[in-house]
Amino acid sequence: MRPVTSERRPKPYAVIRALLRPLWRTLPRPALAAAGGLGLLLAGLPRLLSGAPDPWLCLNLLRAAGLCLALGLAFLFDDPARHTTAPVPVRRPLRGALRLALAVPVAALCWTAALLLVPGQARPPVGAVTLEAAATAALALAGASAAVRCTDGTRPGAAVAAGLTAVAVTVPTLLLPQRWALLVAVGDQRWADAHGRWAGLLVVAVAVVALCAPEPLRRGSVLRPRPRGTAPTTA
Amino acid sequence: MTVTVSASGLTLRYGGTAALDEVTLRLTEGVTGLLGPNGAGKTTLLRVLATAVPPDRGAFSVLGHDPSTTAGRQNVRRALGYLPQNPGFHPDFTAFEFVDYVAILKEMTDRGARHREVRRILDAVDLSEVRGRRIKRLSGGMRQRVALAAALVGDPGFLVLDEPTVGLDPEQRMRFRELIAQAGEGRTVLLSTHQTEDVAMLCHRVIVMAQGRLRFEGTPAELTAQAAGRVWSSAERDPAARAGWRTGLGTFRNVGDPPEGADLLEPTLEDGYLLTLDDASAEVAA
Repeated sequence: MRPVTSERRPKPYAVIRALLRPLWRTLPRPALAAAGGLGLLLAGLPRLLSGAPDPWLCLNLLRAAGLCLALGLAFLFDDPARHTTAPVPVRRPLRGALRLALAVPVAALCWTAALLLVPGQARPPVGAVTLEAAATAALALAGASAAVRCTDGTRPGAAVAAGLTAVAVTVPTLLLPQRWALLVAVGDQRWADAHGRWAGLLVVAVAVVALCAPEPLRRGSVLRPRPRGTAPTTA
Repeated sequence: MTVTVSASGLTLRYGGTAALDEVTLRLTEGVTGLLGPNGAGKTTLLRVLATAVPPDRGAFSVLGHDPSTTAGRQNVRRALGYLPQNPGFHPDFTAFEFVDYVAILKEMTDRGARHREVRRILDAVDLSEVRGRRIKRLSGGMRQRVALAAALVGDPGFLVLDEPTVGLDPEQRMRFRELIAQAGEGRTVLLSTHQTEDVAMLCHRVIVMAQGRLRFEGTPAELTAQAAGRVWSSAERDPAARAGWRTGLGTFRNVGDPPEGADLLEPTLEDGYLLTLDDASAEVAA
């Protein structure tokens, strides 16, 4: 079987259809399953406690569940075969997009289940808290795709997850001034402004994911412009 | 012979270090060996030619395709098989599944034809018996053959192999030599290695690199000839020798500039390689 020439290239949908099954198997399913399981456990905690559920506790447990899901997604672009499959004609952005397309519905399903586990009378506004979770997940994906684009590592997920955890623990609670608060209670007068900021974070994170989708940069070239007439790189 | 891969003035720097310094070369069909010490720039050169990293300066073409454009790069990749220095795998895949996955990434979408091709390649690298076994359960040599199969799938016209025999036992290395020799029939193979015996036995051309530059380009016989009259035997290590070691016979084999009346020995390719490197170091020092 001779290699495919440009004259008889397959249709993109044929490549996508053929790739779906093996790509599904390359997903970091143990990390995603552990993150999803822990997230559901946290979201379901209020049901296990006696007494009326506390809305403030439920909100924070949902936030923690969202963080867990995001930590799982931080492993999405881990690829031990990265260097073996570097110079192939199927481009990396397509592979990345397919991974996202496979993982995001599962994460969304998991998040929906987490929301439903919270007792209705203590459930925070679904749209707002989903925005927070989406922004957190997008930040994790932005970190993961930036790590792939700017380093040679095959498994940056653990480092990205650790970084995200550190940021989640320190930035909203210790480093952000009160007027830029992100984690506010339902009914707080800063609620709408905080969610404006969450929306901004989501947009920025999605933009970073998109910008980091192309072929990885060469080591040490993160801040260096690519020489004219040379192709982008892969690794 | 027709030139299939050509490069001129390839330069690539990592910070202040020139990994490639004005490298110009031409490859033809058959196996070309790439020798050099660690840090010589061999892997960088292979990664550039495999379109895994772009050069800072210079140009190259592979089988008539210019990789400086997106379309040209895609065409190079369609004609390329690449075995990196430390090939990684999805350990839960079987050998068949992994090679099949790489075949899809090489745009082979017809399932039946692709599976026939994967079976053919696994048979060629002698992995048919274990094709259903998970990669994490394969030996190091078998994994290396899975990586070679992944490089060979799709019958690429240009095969880039980065130290494929490292860590293999002698029997596995012999088997690999056989496979690489077969792969070199009708296609261009660039083989980076530290094993001078592999080059002596497999390659019709040899390139020696040091400090990012090409120091020698020619046939293995020509590289061996670099050491003609510069290898001698003595009862003690000759202090004038650039390298010398006691052999199994109890005498010393010295390489360098022999004294008058020295007992000259037949040089090997390794002697030629060592002297070429030594001459290159002396040139840099000067």
